[in-house]
Amino acid sequence: MYEIDFNVIVNALPQLIKGIKTTLFISLISSVVAFLIGFVIAFLRTMGTASLRAASTIYVEVIRNTPLLIQLYFVYKALPGFGPHLNPVTCGIIALSAYTGAYISEVFRSGINSVNSEQYQAARGLGLNKLETFNLVIFPQAIRVVIPPLASQFINLVKNSSLVSVIAVTDLFYIIYKGAVDDFRFFEFFVVGAFLYMALTGFIAATANTIEKFISTIQEKEVRI
Amino acid sequence: MHWEVIADNFDFLMKGLVTTFKLAFLSIIGSLVLGTLLGITRYLRIPFFSLAAAAYIEFVRSIPLILFIFFIHFGFLPYILGAQSSFFASSCLTLVIFTSAYVAEIIRGGLDSIEKEHIDAAVSLGLSKLQRLRYIILPIAVQRMMPAIVSQFIALIKDTSLASTIGLIELTRSGEIIYERTYHEFEVLVFIAFVYFLVCFSLSRLSRLLEARHYIVSDSREALC
Repeated sequence: MYEIDFNVIVNALPQLIKGIKTTLFISLISSVVAFLIGFVIAFLRTMGTASLRAASTIYVEVIRNTPLLIQLYFVYKALPGFGPHLNPVTCGIIALSAYTGAYISEVFRSGINSVNSEQYQAARGLGLNKLETFNLVIFPQAIRVVIPPLASQFINLVKNSSLVSVIAVTDLFYIIYKGAVDDFRFFEFFVVGAFLYMALTGFIAATANTIEKFISTIQEKEVRI
Repeated sequence: MHWEVIADNFDFLMKGLVTTFKLAFLSIIGSLVLGTLLGITRYLRIPFFSLAAAAYIEFVRSIPLILFIFFIHFGFLPYILGAQSSFFASSCLTLVIFTSAYVAEIIRGGLDSIEKEHIDAAVSLGLSKLQRLRYIILPIAVQRMMPAIVSQFIALIKDTSLASTIGLIELTRSGEIIYERTYHEFEVLVFIAFVYFLVCFSLSRLSRLLEARHYIVSDSREALC
């Protein structure tokens, strides 16, 4: 019979905290970069010239239709043949940002498409250029619709960040699995790992809810003025 | 560039691809069955079972797949249940557990999206609960769920690459074996990514084609009325 003993978790606590820090670090930086990539790609796909549109479409389709694991291996193992050797954490951040950026651009694009085309025409008619139209008119309206799916992309990002353990980054998953194997305590470490990931993703979901409410109250106030 | 490495090991890579297909196919069937059961359970709001299904879905959806696959294969099956299992069986079980939670949410969403008027009309025609589900709700809901279901299966095909991390020799792992021997990481990874891309991209195009045809059919129906 398997005897449950949570003392092993207490002993592994310093390691676990380190792992959480690494996961948070990678996720935070990747989410910022992915957000920027998504923003730029969405802009190019909706308002760029034909060739830019085609290039960004190819980027999105290639990234979305190949596994993240392959992309990670590609950055970590194939790119050093062409350029500088990057450390595993940087490789993880590059791959995660590129991957999540493609998904985020799709989220933005659907948000942009949900804004009426009259808004675009009116803004252009008032003499705003394409970038101003995007920044001042289209994007503020799209952002409200976009927050829930954006949050789920960030949740996916945190979960996907566990894949960097296969390129030798000691992130949360790596620490959990190593603890489980070293102490032969699979059940305890699985429960703790599940709990920690649930806490991280739950935190993002709660934050997104708050931001959504915050933005809608601000925008309502502006409308009243 | 040493593309001959692909030609030299083509048969080996294709054997891996066949394993990937087998794994994906069995997991799709399994997760469709389990996901439908869970989704309908949640939709019907059966007192205890719906809550259990919701807990299962939320639990699975907030945890990374790699945590599941490692702990199921190296932890739960051998040490807690005492059942050794093959790489293939563990991967398949994990993918079914994982994807069914996502499929269940899609199914529930599709069922919930049916307008109340449809159901009221069916009730007034004297259809029983089961008949309503069979003749009114499911035909509409299935059509609405299809795009999301297909993109979930595309995600599943990409997720099969994670089976390589526990040692199953599918497409990704067979590629790894080749470049660990020949050191031509770039060529092998590009080729593997290309194969995944072909499979996933054609599946997504196919689903878009089916979607378009549905719209045409429903349009002509409305025109006839």
